[in-house]
Amino acid sequence: MSCEGYRDKLVDALASGESWLAADVAMHLRACAECKRFYEAQVHLFGAIDSRVRAMVNETVPASLLPRVRARIEEVRAPRLVWRPAWGVVAIAAMILVVSLGFVRRSGSLRDAGLTKAPTAVAIRTETVPFMAMPRKAASAAVNPRRRPGNKTEMRIDRPREVPEVIVLGEEREAFVRFVARISVDPQRAVALTRPAPPQRDLPVEIALLQIEKLKVNLLEPTAEE
Amino acid sequence: MRELVLTQPGRVLVGPSERESESCRSHGEFEERLAECGPLAFRVAYGVLRNAADAEDVAQEALLKAYRNFGRLREPARFRGWLVRIAFRMALDRWRSAKRREKRETQWEPTKQRSSEPTVEELAVSSEFQERLERAMEELPEKFRLVLLLAAIEGYTLEEVSGMLGIPMGTVKSRLFFARKQLAEKLR
Repeated sequence: MSCEGYRDKLVDALASGESWLAADVAMHLRACAECKRFYEAQVHLFGAIDSRVRAMVNETVPASLLPRVRARIEEVRAPRLVWRPAWGVVAIAAMILVVSLGFVRRSGSLRDAGLTKAPTAVAIRTETVPFMAMPRKAASAAVNPRRRPGNKTEMRIDRPREVPEVIVLGEEREAFVRFVARISVDPQRAVALTRPAPPQRDLPVEIALLQIEKLKVNLLEPTAEE
Repeated sequence: MRELVLTQPGRVLVGPSERESESCRSHGEFEERLAECGPLAFRVAYGVLRNAADAEDVAQEALLKAYRNFGRLREPARFRGWLVRIAFRMALDRWRSAKRREKRETQWEPTKQRSSEPTVEELAVSSEFQERLERAMEELPEKFRLVLLLAAIEGYTLEEVSGMLGIPMGTVKSRLFFARKQLAEKLR
């Protein structure tokens, strides 16, 4: 075997951490000064690697490590313990939020669809005016076709299809009922009310001097401080 | 009269109080392991980062992550190996991001030229050796590097490293062998 071969064996023996050498390698070392020098250098190198790596990982652990970890764990645990009994409240709050969001979105979609202007947009037939306010959910379903009518949260109302339906804002509902009641009494006035008002023209402004006769000016009496 | 309860097969009904006590029990079990495994996580992180403050941060994050997922650990006996892997991976991530930052900042600096090549003996005692060793370790494959670090930690035998990582003893030995051989080749 060449010196190169023996050197490979030497390195393998040192890398595997064996403390003994094979008989043939040991014999070669006794005979070859060059390989002996190489071996000694490698022993030194592996020793240095081991000691440096050991020093690298056996650094003193900071005393603050465990207290800091415990404090962080307590931080993690604390909210869990506080929140657990309040899940009912959270669920109710979430439900209220969802309902209000739905209401806000519905109002927005109604506004977008131009349905909030129902009193002016609706065509009124004086003969058939039975008013029937739709429930909000049903109104939303009418506006949004993606909503499934079979949704459990919706209130279903069976109504004849020939009855006209009017969508009005909640706050205008009462006024609209009164308006509808008035139609049967005075249809002409009601029809006139639904027509848009003529635009107002700006009239020229006249400026004139104001003359006041018999105007008497009295000075204010000084106060004690003055 | 006995109450009949419908459950899914293989599922155990756990009430809120039972869940609470389970949480307390797992907290207690984690606390027991913390004193032993905290330093281990720090040392693994330090072996990668070579900075005590960074290693402490990483160890802390790793322990917190381990705590959060402790309930999901199927085999508590594997906790040490699990934590070691978490710490090692987190340390590597931090080291890589630091390296990228450093590279961005120093890419225009001129590289130093050496006058002559030192001998192995000269190299072994110099601070340059430390730098070269660290660089050589960074180039090691991750699995070799982890075994090298764990085997160097005081108090851990190769059997323990094998048990910790859940790999056969022969694999530990071979990884250690290749790690040391590669380091020596790079430092020669």
